[in-house]
Amino acid sequence: MTSIAYRKMARHRLGWLITGVTLLLLSILIDLSTGPALLNIYDVFSTFFSPEKMSDPMVYVIVHNIRLPMTMMAIVVGASLGAAGALMQTILGNPLASPYTLGFSAAAGFGAAVTILFGLELPYFPELSVPFFAFIAASTACALVYGVAQLKGVTAEVMVLSGIATLFLFQSLQSLAQYMASPEVLQEIVFWLFGSMLKANWFSVSVGSSIFLFSVLVLTKDCWKLTALRLGDDRALSLGVNVQRLRLKVFAVVSLLTAGAVAFVGTIGFIGLVAPHIARMLVGEDHRLLLPFSSITGAVLMVAASIISKVISPGSIVPIGIVTAVVGVPFLFGLILTNKRGS
Amino acid sequence: MPAQAYGKTITVTDTLNRKIELPAKPERILLGFYFEDFYAIGGANAFDKVVAISKSTWHDWRLSQWNTYIKVNPEIAKLVDVGEVDSGTFSIEKAIASKPDVAILAAWQYNALGDVVTKLEAAGIPVVVADYNAQTVEKHVISTLMIGKILGTEQRAKKLADEYAAAVEDVMHRVMHLGGDKPRVYVELGNKGADEYGNSYREGMWGGVIGLAGGNNIAIGQAGQWSPLNPEYVLTSDPEVIFIAGSYWESRDKAVLMGFGVEPETTQSRLSTFLGRPGWSNLSAVKSQQVHALYHGGARTLYDYAFLQYIGKALYPEAFADIDPEETHRRFYETYLPVSAEGVFMTRLKSSP
Repeated sequence: MTSIAYRKMARHRLGWLITGVTLLLLSILIDLSTGPALLNIYDVFSTFFSPEKMSDPMVYVIVHNIRLPMTMMAIVVGASLGAAGALMQTILGNPLASPYTLGFSAAAGFGAAVTILFGLELPYFPELSVPFFAFIAASTACALVYGVAQLKGVTAEVMVLSGIATLFLFQSLQSLAQYMASPEVLQEIVFWLFGSMLKANWFSVSVGSSIFLFSVLVLTKDCWKLTALRLGDDRALSLGVNVQRLRLKVFAVVSLLTAGAVAFVGTIGFIGLVAPHIARMLVGEDHRLLLPFSSITGAVLMVAASIISKVISPGSIVPIGIVTAVVGVPFLFGLILTNKRGS
Repeated sequence: MPAQAYGKTITVTDTLNRKIELPAKPERILLGFYFEDFYAIGGANAFDKVVAISKSTWHDWRLSQWNTYIKVNPEIAKLVDVGEVDSGTFSIEKAIASKPDVAILAAWQYNALGDVVTKLEAAGIPVVVADYNAQTVEKHVISTLMIGKILGTEQRAKKLADEYAAAVEDVMHRVMHLGGDKPRVYVELGNKGADEYGNSYREGMWGGVIGLAGGNNIAIGQAGQWSPLNPEYVLTSDPEVIFIAGSYWESRDKAVLMGFGVEPETTQSRLSTFLGRPGWSNLSAVKSQQVHALYHGGARTLYDYAFLQYIGKALYPEAFADIDPEETHRRFYETYLPVSAEGVFMTRLKSSP
């Protein structure tokens, strides 16, 4: 590739990145201005820049205590799942992989279902019971797949197979918990599994974003290795990448990202599958760009889903897990149909 | 074996408007649900005729109530458990093996069982359907008269049905002629505590009762029959009266606990945490101290008019000045049930801390 062509490509990619960030900011603004209170944008802004001038204290409460945590959580969850999906597709060399392929979210759902079913409560922090046990269950699923991979070799095939087995195991256990529940409890479990932004608060936002930032720090140096891995195990090996070690490391990060995202707000599907595909179509395989762009795309999709879930029925919030696919699928179809690079 | 083989039979009409023939004096009854209503209609010895129940709908769903009844009638705990319909544990073999002369099922059980009902009937067990869940005067009355006829306590049943119809009629009459805007009402199931918004009800359950009592339920028109409202919507709607439904949820540190054997202080302190929700201190209901708790197990019963009266009185204190809903509730237990209503069933949050 000539240096001019390379520079042109880099500019092209940078353009998409700027577009992505702009879209994200725009969707955040719309999300913050959407809600049954029908506040005008000026009032919403005033709560940030001149809260002392607000005449109605309710406006401040609505924007800062109700809307803002939900918007922030949508960003964190979308970014985490977007990145996790891209990483998963890379280490497994499989375009159908997502954070859910290996059963982490099914395990999280099982942990939540059991907690709700038996009314388990943590001492001192009862409100963290469900996220805590969801996280524990997701980590158990991770350890299971990790263990099998350690024993039988860290190849994509072994991981996908043991992961799918884990997925089925936890799905069955989850069904068992639902089967044992009384209607009231069952409804609560089902509601958790739908995924809902109503559970967002500043604590969940800070835990989720800390996990995300930690993951970014851990993987920053590995971007080029991941790009190399896309060329196949053999080529990556010949470039000096310790493929096994990389796979395990990324695997651990993905499980952390997924568990952090779903433990608080419930299983939110699809973002982890769609966001990386959209990102890959727009900016290509270079993981220095692909990973951030997957995160941005995931965040935009989540915030868009949040807006739509509020617009469908302003008074009740339609669970966001139901809306994400409705937002993501048309977007993905559009890209598939218009993508010039498509073979 | 068909019921007619026993000789003398009676015919009852159930809530699905089916005419069912069954032995004139059934001595062995399978009871699927509505245990308290059955007790109220049949009197103190009503359960002597029961041979099988769906235990988890009582034991698991209303534990404190179950414990209260077990104390006065330990035999209930020894009855055959036919399993639960919704979770699929219902055992048709156990049902048939308990040799009931008649099976009394709730409408939701009848619907969920589907084809299984035909098998029960083929085994010679007549199935009749009661329905208090519908929360209509008509079905309450039909269910009550039907159970009365089966138990041979027609007069008592008639009295209960008449009292029920009259009480509901009275509430509707009181609120009908009131002018002005209906007060805005918000109702929430308090099983999750104050940290997370619980389910609100549209037309069904408490939503229906609020409508009857002349309230303007803010949940009406929103998506989902049983789902939480957007907290922001609750704030903007500024409800004038708030009802939190409490029950006896074991091992839940934050849920609003109510029912048999619960101390008033417990209910009060759990309920008061709801005032700490963001923005709630500005709500009209909170400012005017109109935050109430209702026993969730109280809806869909023969005595649910006590709760209807309570809601009516909370909304229109003057129109109900001569009515004491708690006394109505207490007296119903005293008159018709073998246990007394000791615990918290309806209460208003005392002045905010």
